[in-house]
Amino acid sequence: MFATKRLSKELIKMQEHVPPGITIVKCDNLEEWQMDIKILDDNPLYLNQTYRLKFTFSNKYPIEPPEVQFIQCPASTGTPRTIPMHPHIYSNGIICLDLLGSAGWSPVQTVESVCMSLQSMLTANNRNERPAGDQEFIATNRRRIRDINFVYEDDNV
Amino acid sequence: MAQELKAKGNELFKAGDYSGAEDFFSQAIQKNPRDATFFSNRAITRIRLAKWADVEHDARAAIELYGLKNPVALKSHFYLAQALLGLQRPQEAHDVASEAYQQSLATKNAQSENLSRIVLRAKQQIWAARETARIRELNQTLGSVEALVEADVTRALAELQGRLERGEIGEIGFGEDQKALREDAENKINNLREAFRIASKGEVQERVVPDYLIDGITFEIMHDPVITPSGVSFDRLGITKYIEKSGVDPLTRAPVSVHDLRNNYALKSACEEFLKNNGWAVDW
Repeated sequence: MFATKRLSKELIKMQEHVPPGITIVKCDNLEEWQMDIKILDDNPLYLNQTYRLKFTFSNKYPIEPPEVQFIQCPASTGTPRTIPMHPHIYSNGIICLDLLGSAGWSPVQTVESVCMSLQSMLTANNRNERPAGDQEFIATNRRRIRDINFVYEDDNV
Repeated sequence: MAQELKAKGNELFKAGDYSGAEDFFSQAIQKNPRDATFFSNRAITRIRLAKWADVEHDARAAIELYGLKNPVALKSHFYLAQALLGLQRPQEAHDVASEAYQQSLATKNAQSENLSRIVLRAKQQIWAARETARIRELNQTLGSVEALVEADVTRALAELQGRLERGEIGEIGFGEDQKALREDAENKINNLREAFRIASKGEVQERVVPDYLIDGITFEIMHDPVITPSGVSFDRLGITKYIEKSGVDPLTRAPVSVHDLRNNYALKSACEEFLKNNGWAVDW
């Protein structure tokens, strides 16, 4: 219902101005967008790297959260992208962040604010590791991202 | 019998054959002119066909048959308001939709969203009509001022001609003066047009909706703002949906119920005042 209008407005706003380190890659329809984010400080884990995010919107956006995950791009595309190392990011790009889950999402969040939250989540990290049970998770998970019941117990990262 | 005709009409409607569907609904109405659903179905069919005067007739008939205060009739109010918009009668559309919107809130009817949209659309049309009149008036003003300048130069030229004929000035002086008068008049008119152009352009540049009138959920200008216990206002429909689903305030995440929402009348007036002068904001 609101989704298309709201997204086109977000787009207009972002075309006027985006915060540093955030680039719109693909937004030709109102169902899936791709964004590039960069980490601006000198955190050695992410130095000089750019990461690609995929946003998938349902028609209940922004009452319901978008599905957001990191995606990989092979070097052959000219813009190689990998999945950033982080104890809350699985190696298939799925992100464990409360504000992206149904319970933690708020409709005042935007694509831009989500990108900024992810930037700061990476900036603040100094652990070069994947979540516990990463291999098992990516092998067995078949649920939609927002339906996964992550346990947001780790407030230190 | 009539019900079968209606079923056939519904089928064609779903298939996108609106004239065919209209036909069947008309036949159903001939068999039984007391069934409101026949009229409301024909009304939405005729909306697809943009037959606005007929939509108005059918919607009013359906409302009459349902009874004015029957919540089932809200859909027909929505059709009626659309018809009135189509017929360029935005004030009536606004009144019909506003009243129905209030009723739909009271009965938790699913039409609230549609009706809210029509209210905004009607406000926009009301503004557009006033704006057209204003621009016409502006151009008229420009036209009359230009006419005055022209009358003035014509009179001066005639006077000059008279002086030439009476031998008060020579041919050369006449030619020079004539040229000067014409140039002067041309300059005056150009300056006038520039002034009017700047005046209207200045307005176009100011087409920005202040952030405090924008709903943080839909990103649209608010039509029915309510305030949360944390002191932030949202448009009623979006925040209600979110709170019913999550039970928390979207900013503080403190537990909140829809009963904690209060009308923000001051903000509502501010939005209305802004829309009255800036109908384009509906499409912003």
